[in-house]
Amino acid sequence: MSLGRPPYGRVRGQILLWITFAAGLVGCMDPAVRTVDALQLDVLRDPGGQWAAEDVAFHLDELESLDTERPNLGSTHDAFWVRVNGWQGAPRQARITLENATLDSIEAVILDGGRVLGKQRSGAAYGRWEGLIPSFNLPLNDQHALWFRVRSTKPLVLPFSLTRLDEVNRVREQRDLAAALYTGIVIAILVYNIFLAFSTGQSAYFSYTLVVVTVGLVQWGFNGYDRLLWGHIPWMARNGLTVSGAASGLAALVFARDFLEVRRYTPKWNRLIQVLLGVYGLALVAAMVGRPILAYNLVNLGALSAPAMLIMSLVSWRRGNSTALWFFVAWGIFIAAVTAQALRDFGVLPNTSTTALFLPLGTVFQMLLLSFALGDRINLLKRSSDMANAKALAASLENERIVKEQNAELEERVRRRTEDLASANSDLSKTLEELQGAQDQLIQTEKLASLGQMTAGIAHELNNPINYVQSNATSLRRDLEELIEIVDAFSDASAAVAEGAQGAAKLAESARDKARQYDLDFLKQESRELIRGILEGAERTSRIVGGLRVFGRMDGDQLVEASLADLLEASITVLGNRARSRARIVTEFADGVPPLYCQSGRLSQVFMNIIVNGVQATESRWEEVEQREVRVELDRVTDADGADKAVVVRIQDNGTGMDEATRQRIFDPFYTTKEVGKGTGLGLSIVKGILDDHHADVVVTSAIGTGTTFALTFPLDTRPEPESP
Amino acid sequence: MSDDIIRVLYLDDEEPNLFSFKAAFRRDFEVHTCDEPHKAVRMLDDHEFHVVLSDQRMPRISGVEFFELIMPDHPDVSRVLVTGYADTDAVVDAINKGQVYRFVSKPWNEEELRGVIRSAYALNRSRVNSAQQGHQVLGALDGFAAETERLAELARSGGEGVAASVASDLATLESNIRAERERFDLWLQENQRRQG
Repeated sequence: MSLGRPPYGRVRGQILLWITFAAGLVGCMDPAVRTVDALQLDVLRDPGGQWAAEDVAFHLDELESLDTERPNLGSTHDAFWVRVNGWQGAPRQARITLENATLDSIEAVILDGGRVLGKQRSGAAYGRWEGLIPSFNLPLNDQHALWFRVRSTKPLVLPFSLTRLDEVNRVREQRDLAAALYTGIVIAILVYNIFLAFSTGQSAYFSYTLVVVTVGLVQWGFNGYDRLLWGHIPWMARNGLTVSGAASGLAALVFARDFLEVRRYTPKWNRLIQVLLGVYGLALVAAMVGRPILAYNLVNLGALSAPAMLIMSLVSWRRGNSTALWFFVAWGIFIAAVTAQALRDFGVLPNTSTTALFLPLGTVFQMLLLSFALGDRINLLKRSSDMANAKALAASLENERIVKEQNAELEERVRRRTEDLASANSDLSKTLEELQGAQDQLIQTEKLASLGQMTAGIAHELNNPINYVQSNATSLRRDLEELIEIVDAFSDASAAVAEGAQGAAKLAESARDKARQYDLDFLKQESRELIRGILEGAERTSRIVGGLRVFGRMDGDQLVEASLADLLEASITVLGNRARSRARIVTEFADGVPPLYCQSGRLSQVFMNIIVNGVQATESRWEEVEQREVRVELDRVTDADGADKAVVVRIQDNGTGMDEATRQRIFDPFYTTKEVGKGTGLGLSIVKGILDDHHADVVVTSAIGTGTTFALTFPLDTRPEPESP
Repeated sequence: MSDDIIRVLYLDDEEPNLFSFKAAFRRDFEVHTCDEPHKAVRMLDDHEFHVVLSDQRMPRISGVEFFELIMPDHPDVSRVLVTGYADTDAVVDAINKGQVYRFVSKPWNEEELRGVIRSAYALNRSRVNSAQQGHQVLGALDGFAAETERLAELARSGGEGVAASVASDLATLESNIRAERERFDLWLQENQRRQG
């Protein structure tokens, strides 16, 4: 037995073992009465049970002989008087016995002629316990007549016999033992099924416990043991068997309905079950309203349910209810036992120890088999539940597998997506890098362009003074040679005059000719002018170079303390002709403007850029140079106490101006109003970057047809940041 | 021809340059200077110049623009551009419009500039001469055509026969000569334009 098996399997095995043992014990018993001799019975019907014992003598002519060993007078309200003969001459230890515990009343009457010599009573109605076999120990002699008045609502089966006393005692003991065993078996089955009923919660078990209890009671009732329970209640003493019979019928029907799942397998039979339930119900009602015979007959009628259940279980089995077979066998055994009992009652079967045990054994096996059937049903339920569980498990495993697969697929998709994203990301960052590179290149280009513009301006500015310095020097040398020639001539003439030499006058004349020839006055004048030009050129060259020094490094981020006035002046100088020849550039610098800590080279780039833009804007508007004007102003910004807190540079032009949309975008990179290829659109965006590094506040005001003003306010209390990379 | 006086006009907005130029070249050429483009235009109208030099960067007007301005009235004068900084735009502009004979950058080399002025003068002379010679040929052709016309007229008045046929031939010849003259005139103009 594996550990996985449920406990009832083992319990069932043990119970089976014990019951087999008990049945074996019962089988070893000899509960049948061994009669000493057969008795002759004659019977008188006493309609309504009106007679007294003395009345019997007047009806002797109605006596009928009973031939059978187990006479059956049926169920009736009438009483019967039975005259028993054949006991005469029996030994003293012999007893007359009547092996029927269901009789309501038995009254033994000894008549001597017409006189009643003695009475002895027994039977359910008297509530007396006589055991299974009432026996009568009567002070008889052979002249006496022995009568028994029997009356019962149950069938009047009257197996009278003459038995030895020790035999009676032995049989009683055996019967008690058998009853005890039977009861033990019933209790075992009952406990077992109650246990199962509670542990499984199946309603079939509850109805089955009722079946077990009521069948047990019925068997007790047949053997008279029920009087132990309710013998002191006269009504129950008379009707106990009927009630327990009806109850067992009801319980069996209810159980069958549950067990065979009538509604499912044999729905049409349900009606029959209801009818039979009604019959049993009526039997109970009849018993209660004082119609015990009707009640008993109704119970007997209800016994039809036994073959009905048998057929129904067969049908149910045929229809696929596998546990119905157990029911069929169990019910078959029960019916066989009942039939055997009936056959014994009718004398078809001999009344032996074996046949006496048929009914109790039948019920035991019935109950047992039904127990097993229930167990089987549980097994079946368990199996189907296991199957369902297995199915559910398989489904769950399948689900798990699918989920796993989907998970894997999902993971794969996520992985692929991640890869895509990563590659897209790397593409993006590459593109970004390229863009950054392109932007850097553009910024570099813009820087180079502005450097180139500056170089061109500076070259032009420098080449002019250098030109006339150099040219004047050449011309001056020539003039000087001519002057020297004249001086030499005069010198010779003057020496000759001094020596008083011949031809001095002529030499003087020649010198004068030379002076005339070379136009001495013009030469003097020209020489002076040439020298003045050389000086002016040199001065101008040094001024330009000085201006360049103010810028510091053009592209650098060196922080210097610089005068913005100098820086603006230098920027304008360096722009030179490029700006000045195209528009009037007016400067207006306030006095006492404090120096600014700044990157001078980068700031000059800012100023030049804005000034050149201004010049271009005026060119687009005005034909005449005189009308074009770019004002460059420098001013202090002071707080309430008069302390300097900022420096403001305003660059104002009277050019075309911009609309609002353009004004808002001028600092955007790559935004340009110039033709394609003319400007990078980076000039002002770089300017903005430089101004931001200087924490400068930039305000641009512009109107179409009026011009544009850039107001750049440089705070004095913050240092510019190093150039952003 | 080299003995002729070479008349040069120099235009520059910077006075010291003008003075330097004059001082450098007054011994070789008849130098005239001017610091205002419109004055320069007037001077060209009043006197015949062989060579005109101009600074490129000037207020209001560039050297190339100045040359463009004087071209229609003075096609023969040789034009030299002087510039402090040879910016590409100006060079491309000048070449495309075909107004400039030479570029000279500041600071100038005196000898080189002298040579440039001399060769510019030579170009001017050859242009003027070829124009004059062309006009002389045209005049001769005109005369020849007129003489032929007169002969044809005479032949026609001489009566029928041979005379009439001669007259016809002469008339054909005359029209041929005139056609030739027109073609030469066209060539001459074309040539001049090309040299300019």
